[in-house]
Amino acid sequence: MEQELAREAVDHALGLGAQYAEARVQRDLGHTYTLKNGAAEPVNVARKIGIGIRVIVDGALGFASTNNLDRGQLRSTTESAVRTAKASKRLVTSPIRLSQEKSWEDKWEAKMKVDVRNVSPEEKYELLFTIEKSLAPENVHVSLPSRILVFDEDLTEKFYVNSEGSRLHGFVPRVSLLFFLTAQEPGKGVAQRIRHEAQSRGWEAVEDWKPKEIAANEAKTLGRLLREGVPPPKGDVDLVLGSEVTGIICHESCGHPQEADRILGREAAQAGESYLKPDMVGHRIGSEHVTIIDDPTLPNSYGFYLYDDEGVKAGPRVLIKEGVIASFLQNRETAAELGGVSNGAARSSSYDREPIIRMANTYMKPGNHNLEELIEGVGNGIYMKNFMEWNIDDRRYNQRYVGLETYMIENGQITTPIRNPILEITTPGLYGSVDAVGKEMEYSGATCGKGDPMQGAPVWTGGPPIRLRKIRLGG
Amino acid sequence: MNPSDVMKQILTTAQRQGIQSTAAGFTRSHKRMVRFSNDTITITNSWLTEIPTVYLVSNKRRAACMVEEQNPDGLKTVVEELARTMKVTPEGDVGFTLPQGPFKYQSIQGIYDEKIAQGETELIDAVEAGVNAAKKEGALRASGVVTSNTRERYVSTSSGAEGSNKSTEIEMTIRAFCGDDASGQGITVATNLQQFNPEEAGRSAGRLAKMALNPETGQAGKYNVVFAPSIFANLLNRVSDSTSAYTLDLGFSFFQDMLKRKVASEAFTLHDNSRLPYGPGSSTLDDEGYPTQDNALIERGVLETYLHTSYTATKYKAPLTGSARFEAGIGGMVPTTRNIILKAGESSLEDLFDKAHDGLYITNNWYTRFQNYQTGDFSTITRDGVFEIKNGKLTHPVKGLRLSDNMVRILQSVKALSKEQSWVRWWEVETPTLTPYVLVEGVGITTAKK
Repeated sequence: MEQELAREAVDHALGLGAQYAEARVQRDLGHTYTLKNGAAEPVNVARKIGIGIRVIVDGALGFASTNNLDRGQLRSTTESAVRTAKASKRLVTSPIRLSQEKSWEDKWEAKMKVDVRNVSPEEKYELLFTIEKSLAPENVHVSLPSRILVFDEDLTEKFYVNSEGSRLHGFVPRVSLLFFLTAQEPGKGVAQRIRHEAQSRGWEAVEDWKPKEIAANEAKTLGRLLREGVPPPKGDVDLVLGSEVTGIICHESCGHPQEADRILGREAAQAGESYLKPDMVGHRIGSEHVTIIDDPTLPNSYGFYLYDDEGVKAGPRVLIKEGVIASFLQNRETAAELGGVSNGAARSSSYDREPIIRMANTYMKPGNHNLEELIEGVGNGIYMKNFMEWNIDDRRYNQRYVGLETYMIENGQITTPIRNPILEITTPGLYGSVDAVGKEMEYSGATCGKGDPMQGAPVWTGGPPIRLRKIRLGG
Repeated sequence: MNPSDVMKQILTTAQRQGIQSTAAGFTRSHKRMVRFSNDTITITNSWLTEIPTVYLVSNKRRAACMVEEQNPDGLKTVVEELARTMKVTPEGDVGFTLPQGPFKYQSIQGIYDEKIAQGETELIDAVEAGVNAAKKEGALRASGVVTSNTRERYVSTSSGAEGSNKSTEIEMTIRAFCGDDASGQGITVATNLQQFNPEEAGRSAGRLAKMALNPETGQAGKYNVVFAPSIFANLLNRVSDSTSAYTLDLGFSFFQDMLKRKVASEAFTLHDNSRLPYGPGSSTLDDEGYPTQDNALIERGVLETYLHTSYTATKYKAPLTGSARFEAGIGGMVPTTRNIILKAGESSLEDLFDKAHDGLYITNNWYTRFQNYQTGDFSTITRDGVFEIKNGKLTHPVKGLRLSDNMVRILQSVKALSKEQSWVRWWEVETPTLTPYVLVEGVGITTAKK
């Protein structure tokens, strides 16, 4: 039924003069369960279904959507996409073309061992109450005046049809747990931690996360930071970054600047452009230890998909190989402009959003060292395990990560906790300083924001611990 | 869908399920958008949506559902399922009911323009006008977005509140470039075509981009900073977030336990006026059906109120502020701002440069993030033109700067404000904000170290 509606929209668009058309019926069903300081917040349900139609008419791109799947409305929405594209032609000085891609007919999904829809709301609240109990003061030895625990489930089903013969049906269930903890110690102030576990799986993911242990350990760590934390050292230090920090770095200063739409200026007025130019594939940006990959096909990953929202088959993309820019994230529009084919990076967050270039699961390739070896290799330095504040300029060159759980390294040993050390550094400065990469991989869930209107895309950021030499802490 | 039928069905079904208090809502919107980059249109968008919303309250339990699907027969099932789920939800911390109606809603002047609702080509005309104006000022290229929205919002509650609001909005953001690191932004926001000025937005972006050409690398330190409306509106959105009792309740506010205390300098008076004539965010009623009002958030530096829904007003024993908004995701119904207004001062922009003497003029920013929401420690990155001020005059553009400071300290260090105010609403400023230029003393600026 849904695929039929999408096909009708595509046919109608072609009949109206579009040279290319695609339609996507997307259904999203979300449930959010929240516990705030031990009391339930509103259970929140989001039900969404509609169709988005994208057309190219004489080089002009038009998109229209509606949540009314009545056939009459469908036709008028299609007409709207074509009409507005035609109207814009007089100001389209650079006609839009799409790369030549293979057409696919397929059905794909991320599987659930335990269907999250078959788990009762009572069990989901039980999970949150169990975590809440683990945060009792007698267990974590610190006061937690604010404890927000959120279990979220989202089921996304997409029916995609384009005028080149692709017909795809995808289904991805996503589950996540968000911990937001505020700890307080008299005379020492407050410290806050946000942690996000997220996967494309069923309810079975929850058990694997060991949520009680996560919550209690995070709370104990905040307490220790408040009680024992000292100011960061001055001068140049060697720095070991934990997986969580490696992951956000790969996302912010590799994934984003290597999105080809940014490089070509399409996001200039919103998320910005890039320090990279189209001819910089092959340019050295870091040491030979740095290899960064974006892979939508990682099993259970939060950013999982097998076909993108332009119908292109997905696969891993090496973005930086041994310190050298290896490729950009591409959709069909940028691939046509830069010459080549798409690497399947076009995603749309909802039926009413155009597909744009997004990361999926971005990580640094692991090396051969375990964490102890990385630490042992540092005489005096810092181990920044995770972070709270971060940001980066809109060309993705000047970035900042403020450590949360952080320790001094003295004579190759982790010692005293440190409060809020600041790593403020340029992209080549950062990647050029990496002298060793660990082997223990971890991933964090995140929602990446881009596009106008804003599109939140589920992603994983990850990697092993890494070591950087001679870093001057900022602030 | 007929809004009255939809809301009646929601209320009737909820009542049959034994729900004590229900707010039914319905939004019909037609939004259009044209995006452009490097002087060429990259996409035209058109969205037509009709979305019922359901908010249920019983004893200490709450549930919310956004029903972005059109299946009139299914709506009954959705409400029944939501009610069933709510009944097995553990209790929350406070029992309350929705505001007792009926209420009278007074219309607001100038928030609906038929010409926007019926327009077809004015967005494309705006792109042409903006780009041409920017290039006439010397810009090499321009990118941006023009958006119009016609929105009808209907609310009906089991407590007898029933009303609707119809509004239009049109806005443009244009970013002009004279080089990779020489850019400027212009904005125009209005509820009607007459006040919408894409040409001026383009001119302003082009002028700033040209001024920003050949920037020097900036130095870290403490600076007197003159903030242009775009960046200060971004900070004011964060300040206003912290006045929401919901944010306070979650532990995300840097105004924790500060009610009736001095949180800003005497020069600082901030309102959220949901009833402002010609206000881009104005509405006659909130999503719990309560009439909206002009809320003084900070008056001469003193935090006067937090913004409330029925839930937070009951919890904090405070009066309603007409600020409830239905939110998908966490929260359900949360207090939010609609038109943020920072009271103007008496200075000209040149006076502010003069008062700063030596310092920085920062025109825009992005990526504001907090190290700690409760303390208000944060940083944000400058973007577009940043200029050094020497002896009260602008000298040369600078780049590579990050504002790293504390939000309350910034508010307390506001020294002077301009007479001139501008509306700001763009990708980084969610709530429409009317703000002057603002001089703040001793602002922390940091730079990359390697």
